[in-house]
Amino acid sequence: MGVKKPKTQHQLHDPATWVERYGDYLYTYALRRIFEASLAEEIVQETFVAALKARTRFEGRASEKTWLTGILKHKLIDQLRRQQRDTVLSSPETDNRPKDTLFDAGGKWRTKPRKWNADPQKLYEQKAFMETVFQCMAGIPKRMSQAFALRELEGATTAEICNVFNISTANCWVILHRARGLMRNCLEKNWFGNKK
Amino acid sequence: MKLWIFNCQQVSRLVSKSMDRKLPLIQKMGIRFHLMMCRLCSNYRRQLIFMRRLLQISRQHEDTSKSDLHLPLNARERIQKELTSLK
Repeated sequence: MGVKKPKTQHQLHDPATWVERYGDYLYTYALRRIFEASLAEEIVQETFVAALKARTRFEGRASEKTWLTGILKHKLIDQLRRQQRDTVLSSPETDNRPKDTLFDAGGKWRTKPRKWNADPQKLYEQKAFMETVFQCMAGIPKRMSQAFALRELEGATTAEICNVFNISTANCWVILHRARGLMRNCLEKNWFGNKK
Repeated sequence: MKLWIFNCQQVSRLVSKSMDRKLPLIQKMGIRFHLMMCRLCSNYRRQLIFMRRLLQISRQHEDTSKSDLHLPLNARERIQKELTSLK
C-alpha cells in the first residue's frame, strides 16, 4: 500500500481508482439515507465529479474516504431538498388519515409493546438483524425514513431536518414519531415477535 | 404542584419528542409519573432508545464495515467514463 504517512497528512489516490475503492461504500451510504437506488447512484456520481474538480483543494487533514463522505453528504442534502413534496409531508392537522396506527380511539395501545430484552451491540453483530432493520426503514413511507435516517444516522437536529424538507418543527416531530412507531412495529413483527 | 396526567397515546408522542427536543420540566415529570405505572409505555420507550442506540452503533461502524450492497455495474461504468472524460 505504500509508506505510512504521518497522521496529519493524508493523500489522495489516483481518481481512476475511486470508483473501485469507494463506489460500494458511498452507494450504500447514500442508499441508507435516501432509500431510492437511482437517486443514490446520482449522488455517488455527483460526489465523484465534485471531488475530482475539488481535488487540488484537498488539504489532507482528513482521510480521502472521510473527505469523499463529506462531499456526499452535501449532495445527499441537495437531492433530499430537490424531491417533490408528497402527501406524507402534508400538515398532520389537516390530513384525514387515521391519526395513529399505535392507538385505538380510546387512546389505548392497539398492540401492546412487549419486552424485547435487546442488546444493541449484540444485535448489530447479527447480519440478519441489520438486514431486517434496513428493510424496515426501506418499507416505511420514504420521506419518513429519510427524516428518520437524517436524525438517527446523521444526528441532524430538528431544525436542520425542517430546513431540508421545508416543513414546520411540529410537523417534523410528528414525522419522526410516526417513523419510530412504524419502525418499532416492523421490528416487532419481523424479528422480536417471532422469538417466542 | 399539579402534575400533568398523560394517557399512553400522549406519552408515546412525548417520549418520541423528548428524543428530539428538550421538554419542559412539567412534561418530563408527567411522563415519568406515567412511566412509573405503565409497563407498556416503559417498554415502548426502551424500544425507541434501543433503535437509537442501534443506529448509532451502525453509524460508528459504517466506514469500516463491508456492505452487501453494490453500486450497480452500469452505474460504475457510467461514472468511470465521466471521470475519465473530465480529467
